[in-house]
Amino acid sequence: MSAMTLSPAWRVTAHVALLMVCFAIIGPMLLVVGTSLKPDNEIFSPLPFPVSPTLDNYAAILGDAAFRTYLWNSTGTTLLRVAGQLVLCVLAAYAFARFRFPGHNALFFLVLGAMMIPPQLTMIPNYILIADLGWFDTWTGIIVPNLAMPFGTFLLRQHMLAFPRELFDAAEVDGAGPWRQLWLVLIPNLRPALGALAIVLFIEAWNEYFWPLLISETDRSATLQIGLRGFLNEETGDEFGKLMAGVTLASLPALAIFFAFQRQVMQTFVSSGLKG
Amino acid sequence: MVPVTAAEAPRTRPRLWARLAAVREETALPLLFLSPTILLLGVFVYWPLLYTVYLSFVDWNFVADSKDFVGFENYSGILGSTLFNDAARNTLLYVVGSIPLKVLLPIPIAIGIWGLSQRMGDIYKTIIFLPTLISFVVVAIAFSWLLNPFMGIIGEMLRLVGLRMPAVFSDADLALWGILGISTWKIIGFNTLLYLAGLATINRDYVEAMRVDGASDGSIFRHLIWPMLTPTTFFVAIATVIFSLQQVFTPIDVLTQGGPSNSTTNLFYMVYQYAFVTFNVGFGSAGTVMLFALMIIVTLLKVKAFERWVHYQ
Repeated sequence: MSAMTLSPAWRVTAHVALLMVCFAIIGPMLLVVGTSLKPDNEIFSPLPFPVSPTLDNYAAILGDAAFRTYLWNSTGTTLLRVAGQLVLCVLAAYAFARFRFPGHNALFFLVLGAMMIPPQLTMIPNYILIADLGWFDTWTGIIVPNLAMPFGTFLLRQHMLAFPRELFDAAEVDGAGPWRQLWLVLIPNLRPALGALAIVLFIEAWNEYFWPLLISETDRSATLQIGLRGFLNEETGDEFGKLMAGVTLASLPALAIFFAFQRQVMQTFVSSGLKG
Repeated sequence: MVPVTAAEAPRTRPRLWARLAAVREETALPLLFLSPTILLLGVFVYWPLLYTVYLSFVDWNFVADSKDFVGFENYSGILGSTLFNDAARNTLLYVVGSIPLKVLLPIPIAIGIWGLSQRMGDIYKTIIFLPTLISFVVVAIAFSWLLNPFMGIIGEMLRLVGLRMPAVFSDADLALWGILGISTWKIIGFNTLLYLAGLATINRDYVEAMRVDGASDGSIFRHLIWPMLTPTTFFVAIATVIFSLQQVFTPIDVLTQGGPSNSTTNLFYMVYQYAFVTFNVGFGSAGTVMLFALMIIVTLLKVKAFERWVHYQ
């Protein structure tokens, strides 16, 4: 389908304007990647691209033990957090979508309400609590407070409500209890929604800055976002190539996942913006 | 692992499940499923809100043994402080500056994408969406180098044509606009997508029909597109206000820490500064309570806007 709704004159204008916008978006990215590929003696050249491209900066940043630690902390905390979030979201959404129980609406309201509360409003008591629990500067401290995910619960509940009731009934006639209905009927059919949610949760967790900023202190738990910011502060000017290689590497996972699953990701992102 | 169900093999069903089923499957089971989520939200979202209210009435620095009750002193202290004054003014500037850049600018972009062929539109859309995926820390670091007056590449390029790059993030008159600029770069694609979701509800046959009737582009925009986009615009505006309050925390912290001389701090960053830079828990908490009241108002507006939008669709 190619429904064009602009008249030819406007179409040309639109192309020109959109190319300019795209240039403004892509330009800074290309400059960053270009710099990351420059050898030391070209770092301060005004050319956007390296004359003799090299991967030296990537070798340098990956050779940095601190960077590798941050990468490991980011990978570990992100994967564990997303896995936990998915499990809790599925269970909570299933409870809301499939059962009527006393307090159903009140609890649902409680979950929805939490979606509207930004982490900055709860940071002081949470910081105190994490310190009291001895979770300061640990993976646990980074992961656990983020495990409940109101938006994900809401999204999955919507998908489950749209699920044909007859399939549950058929499963029940076959003698499947609530657990089997969840694992054998619902989950396999929800795979696309779960996949899209997992991607959005991954990107969100990978890019998270605020909470780790409060409770990460050392290499024990500092993530890439915290580590890169530290590199920027130490940066004296002779290692911009390395820093740009670092931020490029840090952005790759989210971009790679996006290009693999574009359509679902954009849709889920939009709905997360509508609710969050 | 799939637990064995009663119907299939009642005798092997684990005892806990049997007991719960006996209590009442329809009630106990969903509450069990919900318990981790509810527990975590209670501990890490709702309880902290209440505890913050308590802390807003005491004088404390995170480590002292006693928390002295000081009544409303923290509130009056904040309201009388220069930091609050500056943060409130900057918050207003961020919001006012965001409207043309993040709320209005995406409208023609979205209409352009929507009006072109699907293939080209998708390419533009994908490119414009990319900054949404990149962390704000990375964006801030990248721009701090790009715009670095001494070593950044844009400075070097400007030098070639005889221009001098200003020190954007260390100039009290420029820093806020620099942060506004990079947060526009980051959010514009996302807001464009929201408008595209609104445009998707317009039946393209109407456009064709209007054109056959001899309607100009201008009148198609005025009579068909704009009325359909009004609720979206309202919604995007409020979502952007929340974003401008809350998300610019990261670029502020990475690039300026609120400075130079409070020129980039906003209300959210102010709360962080009180609590975690000067360790004044009372001021930080009192600021949080005031922000919470503000957020409730803005959020109610957002819910209203969303309902109107859904109603249109």
